[in-house]
Amino acid sequence: MSSAKNDPVKIETDRSWEAGRSKNVTFVVTEDCQLRCRYCYMVGKNKAGRLKFDVARRAIDYLLGARDLVTEPSVVWDFIGGEPFLEVELIDRICDYFKLRAYELDHPWFDRYRFSFSTNGLLYNDARVQRYIAKNSSHLSVQITVDGTRAKHDLQRVYPDGRGSYDDVARNIPRWLEQFPKSSTKVTVSSDDIPRIKESVLHLWGLGIKEVNINVVFEDVWKPGDDERFEAQLVALADETIDRRLYETRSCSFFSKTIGLPYADNNNWCGAGRMLAVDHRGNFYPCVRFLGFSLQKRPALTVGNCFDGLDRNRLRPFLTLDMVTQSPEECVDCDVAAGCAWCQGANYDFAETRTIFQRSVAICRMHKARVRANNYFWNKLGRKLGRDLRAEPQGGEGAGPC
Amino acid sequence: MLKYLLVVLARDATSFCHYEAGGRRRGGADLIPLDRLEAAVLFALKNNLKVNFLYPGRRLGRAYDKLVESVDHVKIAPFAARSSHPGAILVVESSAVPGAADLAGLRGENFILRLRRADLPLLAAALKRLLPRAKRVNVVLADVAGCGEAEYAEYRRQLEKIMPEVLKLSARPDPPELNVLTDRPALGRMNNCEAGLAHLTVGPNGRLYLCPAFFYADPRQSLGEIGGEIAIGNRRLLELKYAPICRICDAYQCRRCVFLNRALTLELNTPSAEQCRLAHVEREASRLYLGRLRESGAGEGLADIPEIAYQDPFDAAVEKKMSIADFKKL
Repeated sequence: MSSAKNDPVKIETDRSWEAGRSKNVTFVVTEDCQLRCRYCYMVGKNKAGRLKFDVARRAIDYLLGARDLVTEPSVVWDFIGGEPFLEVELIDRICDYFKLRAYELDHPWFDRYRFSFSTNGLLYNDARVQRYIAKNSSHLSVQITVDGTRAKHDLQRVYPDGRGSYDDVARNIPRWLEQFPKSSTKVTVSSDDIPRIKESVLHLWGLGIKEVNINVVFEDVWKPGDDERFEAQLVALADETIDRRLYETRSCSFFSKTIGLPYADNNNWCGAGRMLAVDHRGNFYPCVRFLGFSLQKRPALTVGNCFDGLDRNRLRPFLTLDMVTQSPEECVDCDVAAGCAWCQGANYDFAETRTIFQRSVAICRMHKARVRANNYFWNKLGRKLGRDLRAEPQGGEGAGPC
Repeated sequence: MLKYLLVVLARDATSFCHYEAGGRRRGGADLIPLDRLEAAVLFALKNNLKVNFLYPGRRLGRAYDKLVESVDHVKIAPFAARSSHPGAILVVESSAVPGAADLAGLRGENFILRLRRADLPLLAAALKRLLPRAKRVNVVLADVAGCGEAEYAEYRRQLEKIMPEVLKLSARPDPPELNVLTDRPALGRMNNCEAGLAHLTVGPNGRLYLCPAFFYADPRQSLGEIGGEIAIGNRRLLELKYAPICRICDAYQCRRCVFLNRALTLELNTPSAEQCRLAHVEREASRLYLGRLRESGAGEGLADIPEIAYQDPFDAAVEKKMSIADFKKL
């Protein structure tokens, strides 16, 4: 066994800017998108739901003014849709207004803010988008979603006529990585694309995207045997990552030192309620998954609006949510529970009654498969490097905006 | 475990809690159908349940009376109908507190005082009238939603104002109980309403509900037919263990009203700020009452009520999540 005391191990993903300290406010600038991704939880896309500047202005005014309720020292303004860059001129006005008002009010957020985008990347080279990026580059995060190989990407991320969108996105990636070299992408795995996981992560790393955040969908789409296929893909990915020493420069959120142990604490996984989403009517939501167009079975769940303010009573369940209250006993007692994620919006949508206190366990077998592959990865890499890697300081696994 | 059944005999039966009853409808269909009442009585007899019948301010007829008398029960009736229902728990609205003449001759009664926010400044005066005639008075604030600092302060003032009267009456051989002052010192654990756990309600349509308030809010929120399978989805959320704010709280006298929880926070297991603040005004008043009781040489055997730093247990629940180990001990 070689002794590699100082070899870098980069594989765990980094935490986001000011993780856990900043207020995440999501503006849903449009409910429209050029794509109709097959796994997308936003099932009700439409052209009518477009944010107006006056509504965004009211929301900013309220949030900057409610210093007793909104106490975080920094802010991440997330712009999503649908596809946010469809509304880049509106976004530009919103950002300018925030900067101006924060300055006028001498608000702590004036120099502690980020503008964050999750985009399908199709408009990335559009002149208006590029002007916006140039103007805000020092406070900007842009994440383009590429799902992996052309085959995997085009299986899910399609136009309304069924055509795949891979080529249209891929041609914009070099410029994106040039402007945001530390960027990550977010990959979503559903049942059909399990066989393409390994090749997809390797492909994305090959494109120069060093950080791949990847997760399985929370919906109950899993078929018998999916967990075994999933585990086999991750083991193959682990082998390739170790054999080619990709762990030194690349990261993938599937591999984390901290998952697969019993729960160490009773925290909620999800940040819903601490985050806030704003729609075109000016309604506030605990996160974007509680908007009507994100929900399949339940009605939208608002926690106030920009005209009357936050509804403190409706926020109380979110702020007191913990793991034990919403989880079945088998989850509380699970030996490999740490890192098993849940989505509050999906829980609400699929619960037996109208509640956020019933955790969906649809991904249970998938999590256990991930844990086995993850153990394999760390044990194999540890033996290669002659180190107990899991005893070393941990990386970035944990709750956060999804 | 189910212990009793509430039966709302008519749509316009008196409200005794945090909801507004319906008025009479033209053309009848206000009374619970006789066959449904019979089914409710049978259900109670077969399941060892005591029955609380909620009455309107009018007579129901001999067939109804006969069925009611065929099972162990308590009647809850509006004060105005007291002569028809001797021994009933009498509901007094704060807008119509009976005068001395109306109360003459009454002794050892059980009263429910349904208090409106607007009548808060009259609470002590109303209690001063009722308590000497009472075995027990339950104060229920009818319109909780929207209470603010002014209401909490007034409530506290009124409870402090009535304290000397309660202390004076405590020297009687049969001292009256006042839920919002004398319950908490006598309790060592939560003593809540427990709708859906300890009791169910039969609405005037003959169907089952968590409590009358759920019927009046939306009759479609039924749990099913009497005798059929009772479907309480996510029933555990009614239990104290699964209520993150309440399980760390020691305002044991609180109703922990799941209807208000649902109405104001959208969750059965999460109380609103109004409920918690009001319960803690009562807790603090009870603490002061206990201190004065002890100063007068009484209150032996009652446990201390500790002074606490918060007025709303939500703050404590947010500050420190319960540990997994502590949760498992519950």
